[in-house]
Amino acid sequence: MLGVAGIIAAAGVIILLQVPVLRKKKLKKELWAFWILLLLGVGISISKSILLNIPTPMSWIAIALKPFSDFLIHIGLIK
Amino acid sequence: MLNKVKISSRQFTILTTLFTIGSAILVVPSGIAALAKQDAWIAALAGLAAGVIIISMHILLAKQHPGKTLVEMLDTLLGKWLGRTVALVFIATLFLCGPSAVLNILSNFLTTQMMPETPIQSLNILFAVIVLMGVYLGIETFSRSAELIFPWIALLYIAFIVLVSFDVKPTNLLPVLENGMRPIWPAALSFVCTAFLPNIILLMIIPSVDNRRNEAGRALLIGGIIGSVVTIVIITITIMVFGPEFTARSMYPTYALARKISIGNFLQRLEAIMATIWFISLYFRMTIYMYAISIALAQIFNLKEYRPLVLPLGMLLVVMSVIVYPNITYQNSWDTRTWIPYTLVIGFILPLLMLCLSGFRNLNKQG
Repeated sequence: MLGVAGIIAAAGVIILLQVPVLRKKKLKKELWAFWILLLLGVGISISKSILLNIPTPMSWIAIALKPFSDFLIHIGLIK
Repeated sequence: MLNKVKISSRQFTILTTLFTIGSAILVVPSGIAALAKQDAWIAALAGLAAGVIIISMHILLAKQHPGKTLVEMLDTLLGKWLGRTVALVFIATLFLCGPSAVLNILSNFLTTQMMPETPIQSLNILFAVIVLMGVYLGIETFSRSAELIFPWIALLYIAFIVLVSFDVKPTNLLPVLENGMRPIWPAALSFVCTAFLPNIILLMIIPSVDNRRNEAGRALLIGGIIGSVVTIVIITITIMVFGPEFTARSMYPTYALARKISIGNFLQRLEAIMATIWFISLYFRMTIYMYAISIALAQIFNLKEYRPLVLPLGMLLVVMSVIVYPNITYQNSWDTRTWIPYTLVIGFILPLLMLCLSGFRNLNKQG
């Protein structure tokens, strides 16, 4: 729980630092991008601190590149 | 706002050098020694030759599209939608494989070798905060700091090489080419994939380089060569001191090397020198990655400012650095099975396709 509180506090600090500036400059699109990235960050951080074991996104890249990697193993360039 | 800032070509050379040294200097020796044994230095030299060709390809690409970043090049070559989709996939995967993985390697090293009782997250957060500060202040600021800090790194590096050279046993390099040329190629490939192919991301910052005298491309090449020569010297010395077996088995052979320094039982425990060189170059590697990624995201979504993205990206960076590698076995197999094909795709196949595409277009225009 302490972890979750810390994550939310950090997100709060980031919001306080950025949102007023963006509002003042009237940068709407930037504000949207900011919120989406921040929500993504907070969501993943909280699920990491509660669930502890999160499947790594690296395995998606590994699956996507499997044929190429198999080919390189076949011609002996990687082991 | 993206084109207003300018850095000199000398600063760009230094950034490229630090970027190349980055993760290579501490991790590469063991991987390359596992593949090529005592001939690792030959493999690294072969890698350097291949790297020069690859960097020339990147330079050619930059020359064909002056003043454009990689995202803008994709935009003009593939059209708005396809170009930006490719760019987004490229940037999203690079975020995982680049800065997040580097931060993970760094904190792994710190918790296993230097500060075993500190929780890994706090080290990650501390390091990420200074990286974000650099990214937020912009490329001019962190290039200037790179320029200031570079002589010190060079001094530490030379001091390190001189002190270690008391322990070298050149016989460890014999027999040369014991198993023929076959084991050289995979080792050379792994060297190229760590030291040269990720440099494609420097095409994101090449428009900010002052290019009045056409020096940006040369800076890219010279920086890459200096960085890899530094690494090759380290590889050779590590093998000469420890022999190929220990180098391959050890996780951080250069760190072990620095521990071995003992001049007259007085000058000892200099491993912090090695760690300092490594932290500084890794810091710049991560800062360049994060800066390029923020700029790329801003350009993909047509944003006027990249700065609002920096702090949320930093939050993602901290959590991703813990998630990316569940354990060291996964990391080792991922590094060979996926990192090598991945960098080949982004650093070799992608620019090659882009060059072919623009060549094709020029032909069409003429005909």
